[in-house]
Amino acid sequence: MSRIFTIVRGHVRTWFRSRSTIFWTLLFPILLIVLFGAIFGNGNTKFDLYVQNQDLVTSAPTPTQASLGYVNALNQTGAFNLHMVAAETANPLAYVRDDAQLNNRGQRLVIIPVGFQNNLTATGKADIRLYLDQSDQASGPLSGVVSAVSSQYAARFSNSTASVSVQQVPIIAHSTRYIDFFIPGVIGMTLLTSGIFGAVETNGRYRDLKIIKKLATTPLSKIEWILGMVGYQMFLAAISITVILLFGRVVFGVTATIDIYTVALVVAAALLFPGIGMVLANFVKEADGAEAAANAITFPMMFLAGTFWPTDTMPTVLKVIAQYLPLTYINNGLRDAMIYLEPAQALTNTVIALGLAAFFIIVGSVLMSWKEE
Amino acid sequence: MTLPNGSPAAGSDGIVEVNNLSKKYGDKVAVNGISFRLSKGEVFAFLGPNGAGKTTTVEILECLRAPSGGQAKVLDYDVSKRSDQAEIRKRIGVLPQDFNAIDRLTVRENIDYFGSMYDHHLDPDQLIELVDLKDKRDSQFKTLSGGLKQRVGLAVALVNDPSVVFLDEPTTGLDPRARRDVWSIIEQLKHQGKTVFLTTHYMEEAEYLADTVSIIDHGQIVASGTPGELIDSYGGKKTLVIREGGEDGLKYLPSEISKPVVKNAGDIHIPLNNGELTNILIAIGQTPLGNKEIEVNRPTLDDVFLNLTGRRVSEEGEVA
Repeated sequence: MSRIFTIVRGHVRTWFRSRSTIFWTLLFPILLIVLFGAIFGNGNTKFDLYVQNQDLVTSAPTPTQASLGYVNALNQTGAFNLHMVAAETANPLAYVRDDAQLNNRGQRLVIIPVGFQNNLTATGKADIRLYLDQSDQASGPLSGVVSAVSSQYAARFSNSTASVSVQQVPIIAHSTRYIDFFIPGVIGMTLLTSGIFGAVETNGRYRDLKIIKKLATTPLSKIEWILGMVGYQMFLAAISITVILLFGRVVFGVTATIDIYTVALVVAAALLFPGIGMVLANFVKEADGAEAAANAITFPMMFLAGTFWPTDTMPTVLKVIAQYLPLTYINNGLRDAMIYLEPAQALTNTVIALGLAAFFIIVGSVLMSWKEE
Repeated sequence: MTLPNGSPAAGSDGIVEVNNLSKKYGDKVAVNGISFRLSKGEVFAFLGPNGAGKTTTVEILECLRAPSGGQAKVLDYDVSKRSDQAEIRKRIGVLPQDFNAIDRLTVRENIDYFGSMYDHHLDPDQLIELVDLKDKRDSQFKTLSGGLKQRVGLAVALVNDPSVVFLDEPTTGLDPRARRDVWSIIEQLKHQGKTVFLTTHYMEEAEYLADTVSIIDHGQIVASGTPGELIDSYGGKKTLVIREGGEDGLKYLPSEISKPVVKNAGDIHIPLNNGELTNILIAIGQTPLGNKEIEVNRPTLDDVFLNLTGRRVSEEGEVA
């Protein structure tokens, strides 16, 4: 019996001292429950919706009663987080594009045009314009809710004789499917995992095996070692992107564009994620501990940064977190460049990704111990 | 020979020169004011138990750690100067303690991999021949036994044709045969005129391989010299052993000899003073002891370490 106890105790001690097994057996399931619960659990998800009310009282810069009532009707559905665009904004679409990008929101805009109240009062008919990104997974339900609100509001306004029609305006010419959305996400995820785990595995395990110590006694410099690692990541990225895109093309007919932004984003990812891995490997010296730390970072980032679903469909708190995740900018940038063909947005994401890449690769390089301490 | 505190021997040509070297980790003193010097073509063994300061010292010489005090030069380059460190790295060969090459590369690929870190390196096949791994040339490192892996490590350490080779515990954990194989390679290096700096806790290894031994304990050198000099000075007396002589055999021994002791399965151990051996052999020749197996054991570096520190070093390198 004592032998059995000794064996059990040995296993328990081994488990307890290995951070990676603790992660996989305890933290990862909890993490998944928390994440999926937060995303799909309580149906609290609201859609971001920009509204520009151009229908003002002529004597004062205040909205007309009818337009204000319509905005209130939208708000009362509880389905939207309304973001008001000032009436005097000359190019509301451009404003929404920039603000939505900045705040990681969907580009959806309702414009209540000048004359909304007058038309409704005089003719019983008024229009509002709904600008939607057709690739937006939320566009279908969102359009339905806006139409329903418009009908109900018109009915309330004049005892069912009036109507408010919704003119839907697509703001991206080509339509996209979920698979189009997903392919760049898979590329982003691959760059993330191969970059972080590659750096952690190489630096952690090679340190344990004294390979790094041996290399440090040769003329090889630390920066050469890091560059070699980054080059390897770029090779991996090229191979994996080729395979993913070919598969997407052959099986799902996905057509993706490879342009300068795509290349820049891949270069950024090949610097950024190994940089994060090197920072981790520095703080967690043992190879298995560093691997657990890499798991703890990559998995939440993978789920929260819009790899599998649009970040816009997530609760507000997770959207805020997504804004601080480097993968968000890689994913968004790759989609802008490869699928949506939005060079301006791709540029913004590329610049942010390159900035983060420079930061992490420099910090990782400085922190990485090459000699003994 | 140098005596405690390791003052350098005179007249050597200084491939490695260490003067009053110290290293502290916080309040802990790992190396405490040691001095020694290696000559060209010499095999130098830095002998001591685990934690004595061997690896810290060798890693300072390999430019992996910065010293806290004192001075160390390798091939006349100062290990503390950044510009000199680059020159040292080009010229030294290193086998770190517990080194493993890259698992999924073959023997040849590994040698080539590390060789590529240098501007000039030897042909991997030449080194494969030296370490007798021709049959395993294309085998992945992970498939090799411990002894063969260590031979790959030696080949990797020699890949840049170094002037001085640092081998940190090269035979730790190996079985006796694999250990002998490594010794054989080190002997070949010696014949090639390489200077070898060897750290070990195996007394037998130091005695077999080294021209000079420095014994380090608690960060200080307690004695230096050739193995013979150390044994003569600190090893104590030779011992005459009469196998299975038994308690009864004691009565046949001359009364004037040092006090004999009966050990193990009745073996008689007699510490020998100068000139006593012949007298004892004559005295017991016509007695029943004359038919027993007789041997003379000379003291070893184990005895030297015991006499200097009051402790023995176990197979694992721990002091007891």
